[in-house]
Amino acid sequence: MTLIYLILILLFISLCWFYLGNNSAKIIKTKSGRLHSLAHYYGLYVLLYSFLPSFFVFIIISVFDDLLFSFLINDYIPDNIKIEPDYNKTIILAQIQNLIDGINFGNPSDWIILASEKMQEWFKISTISNYCFSILVAIIGGYLGFKNIDQDFRSRNSVEKIVIFLLALSSVIAILTTIGIIFSVIFESLRFFAIIPASEFLFGLTWNPQFEGAERAGSGQEGLASYGSVPLFVGTLLISFIAICIAVPVGLYSAIYLSEYSSKKERSFFKPLLEILAGIPTVVYGFFAALTVAPMLRSGGSLLGLDVASESALAAGFVMGIMIIPFVSSLSDDVINAVPQSLRDAGYALGSTKNEVILKVILPAALPGIIGSIILAVSRAIGETMIVVMAAGLAANLSFNPLDAVTTVTAQIVTILVGDQEFESAKTLSAFALALTLIVITLILNFYALYIVKKYREQYE
Amino acid sequence: MEMNEDKKDFKTNTVGDIFSDNPKIVSRNVSVYYNDKKAISDVSLDIGSKEIISLIGPSGCGKSTFLRCFNRMNDTIDGCKVEGKIFLDNENIYDEMIDVVPLRAKVGMVFQKPNPFPKSIYDNVAYGPRIHGLVDNKKDMDNIVEMSLKNAGLWDEVKDRLDSPGTGLSGGQQQRLCIARAIAVSPEIILMDEPCSALDPIATAKIEELLQTLANDYSIVIVTHSMQQAARVSQRTAYFHLGELVEVGYTKHIFTNPTDIKTQNYITGRIG
Repeated sequence: MTLIYLILILLFISLCWFYLGNNSAKIIKTKSGRLHSLAHYYGLYVLLYSFLPSFFVFIIISVFDDLLFSFLINDYIPDNIKIEPDYNKTIILAQIQNLIDGINFGNPSDWIILASEKMQEWFKISTISNYCFSILVAIIGGYLGFKNIDQDFRSRNSVEKIVIFLLALSSVIAILTTIGIIFSVIFESLRFFAIIPASEFLFGLTWNPQFEGAERAGSGQEGLASYGSVPLFVGTLLISFIAICIAVPVGLYSAIYLSEYSSKKERSFFKPLLEILAGIPTVVYGFFAALTVAPMLRSGGSLLGLDVASESALAAGFVMGIMIIPFVSSLSDDVINAVPQSLRDAGYALGSTKNEVILKVILPAALPGIIGSIILAVSRAIGETMIVVMAAGLAANLSFNPLDAVTTVTAQIVTILVGDQEFESAKTLSAFALALTLIVITLILNFYALYIVKKYREQYE
Repeated sequence: MEMNEDKKDFKTNTVGDIFSDNPKIVSRNVSVYYNDKKAISDVSLDIGSKEIISLIGPSGCGKSTFLRCFNRMNDTIDGCKVEGKIFLDNENIYDEMIDVVPLRAKVGMVFQKPNPFPKSIYDNVAYGPRIHGLVDNKKDMDNIVEMSLKNAGLWDEVKDRLDSPGTGLSGGQQQRLCIARAIAVSPEIILMDEPCSALDPIATAKIEELLQTLANDYSIVIVTHSMQQAARVSQRTAYFHLGELVEVGYTKHIFTNPTDIKTQNYITGRIG
C-alpha cells in the first residue's frame, strides 16, 4: 500500500523535472532565439528521463525482494527439517507469511518465529531502500536529462524514440502473455501425459475422470478412471455444428436484408438491435437454454414421439446459434457494404435483377469476408462454456444424436477445476491437456481460415 | 410518327438542331431531381441510329445524369426523380409498363472506372448472356464470348488466359473487357460515361479506335471531359452547362464555330 505513495512521489518529482525542462528550454529560446524542438518536448524528455528509470528500479526491487528473501531464509530453516521426506518450502514460506500477517495456527516452532522476524526486518529494509533508491534515481535521471538541454538538442526525436519503445513494449507484453499461457498449459499437460499416455487421451472413447483417492479407496476399482477425450470433442463439434447451422443462414440472410433491401431508417434501427444480442452475458443465454428452450424441445419431441433428453445438445446448440448470429450478421453486413458500388452498377447496367446482383456479383465478391465471419463465429462456438454447462449437461456420452445429452471440452474443464481439488491428480491435470488440445484445434482452424481467405483474395483482387 | 410532326412547333432554349433524321432515342423535356435539387432541366435531344454523339461540359453540369436516364440507372439512386419523356424506338422508357431488365439489355453501359467483376475473363463476358438466358449450350456461349472479345479488340491479348481473373488485366484491357461484357448481350445503344478518364493515352487511343468500329453496329452516347476526344470520335456534340443543354450540333461546327457565348467560352477554355 505504501508503495502507491512511492509512485505518486516519483510522478511528482518527474512533473517537477518537466516544469524545469520546459522552462529552461523557453529561456534558451528567448535568449538565443533558436530551439530545435518545441519547448514542451524538452520538458517531456526530462520527465521521461526521470520517471522511467526510477519506475523500473521500483518494479525490479519490489519483484525481486521476495525471491531474494525466500532464498536467504534458507539459513534460518533448521537442517533437520530440510531432510524430512515431506519437506515443502512453499508451505514453510506460507507459514512465515501467515505469522507476519498475524494469522496464527497453533504453536509455531521457535525457528519459524525467528525466521518471520528476520523476514519482517528485511521487508522493512527493502521498502525503505526502495523509497530511497527510486527517488534518488528519479532525481539523478532527471538531472542527466536536464543537462542535455541546449538549443541544438533534438528533444522531439528523442521523445519520439522513447514513445515508440513504449509502444513496442506494450505489444510485446500481449505476445509474451499469450506465449506464457501456452507454455503454462503445455507444462501442466506434460505432467498429465506422464500419468496418462497421450494415445489413450487422444483416442480413448470413454471419459470418466476420478480422483486417485477414489481409486485407492475401492479396491479393484482402479479401472474406473479413464481419460479418453473423444466424447468431449465429439460433443463440442456436435454443438458447434448445430450452432453454425442456425447462425450462418440466419446471420447471412439478415446481413443481406440489412445491406441490400432495408431502408436507411430500418437499418439504423435493426443493426444495433442485432448487436445487442452479442452483448447479452452468456450465462443469461445459458438459463434461457436450460429453462425455456430445453423444456420446449422436450415437450415438442414427445409430441412427435421422440425421446429428447432434458439436457440436450440441440437446446445448447440452438441457443448458442442465436448467440453467435450477430457475429455472422454484423461482420457479413460490413463486408457486403464494402463491395464497391461500381460492381453493383455494372450488374444493374447489364440488366440484372436485384436478386441476380446479390447472388452473382455481391456474394462472390464478399465471400472471403463472409467466410472470415463464419470462422470467427465457429471459434466463438467452440470456446463457449456457460451455455453448455447449463443446457447440455455433463454426461460424456459419445453420441452424434442431437437429442442426447452430451458435454463439451470447455464444460469439462470448468467442472474439473471448480471447487476443491487435488492439484497433482490426473483428474485436475487433465483439464490442462484438454485446454491444450482445444488451443491446438482452434489454431489449426484459424490458420485454415486465413488460408482460405487468402486463396480467394488472390483470385478476386 | 408522332414526334416528327411536332418538330416545327417544338420550342426549346437549346441552340442548334436537337433533332435527328433517323432517331434511335428521342428525349423531350427531361428534368432530373436529386431529392429537391434540380440536376438537369428541360433537356430535349435526339440520338441518331448508329451515330456517336458526345456530351461535354464542365463538372457537375448534368451530362452524366442525362446519360444515366437512357438506361434508367438513375432508378438505383435514392431520391432521384425523372420528369419528361424518353422514347426508345417509339416506346417511352419511363412508362410504368416498362421493365428495366430488357431495357438495360438493350442499352449497354460502360463506366468511368473499369469495373470488371471479380470473376474470370470468360465469366465476365458470359455474365450478361447467362442472366438473360441468351444461350443454352457451352458452344454458343464460347462463340458469344469470342465474338464479344474480338469486337472489343481484346481477343488476341487474352485468348490464352480466359480463366484468369478479369481484375488482373491492365486498366485499358479492363475497360475493353467491360465493353466486351456490354456488347455480349447484343445491345442497340452503348452509353459511355467518361470511359477513358482513368486510362493512359495509349489505352485511350485503342478505345477511341474501337469506338469507330463499334459505331457500325451501335448508337453510342459518350460523356467526356476531353474536348479533343469529343472532336476525334463523335459526329455530333452536345454542350451542357449548369443542368441545361446549351448547344448541340455537328462536332466540326461546335468546335470551329460555336453559336452560343457559353459554348464559345468553354471551347476556348474560359470555363471548365
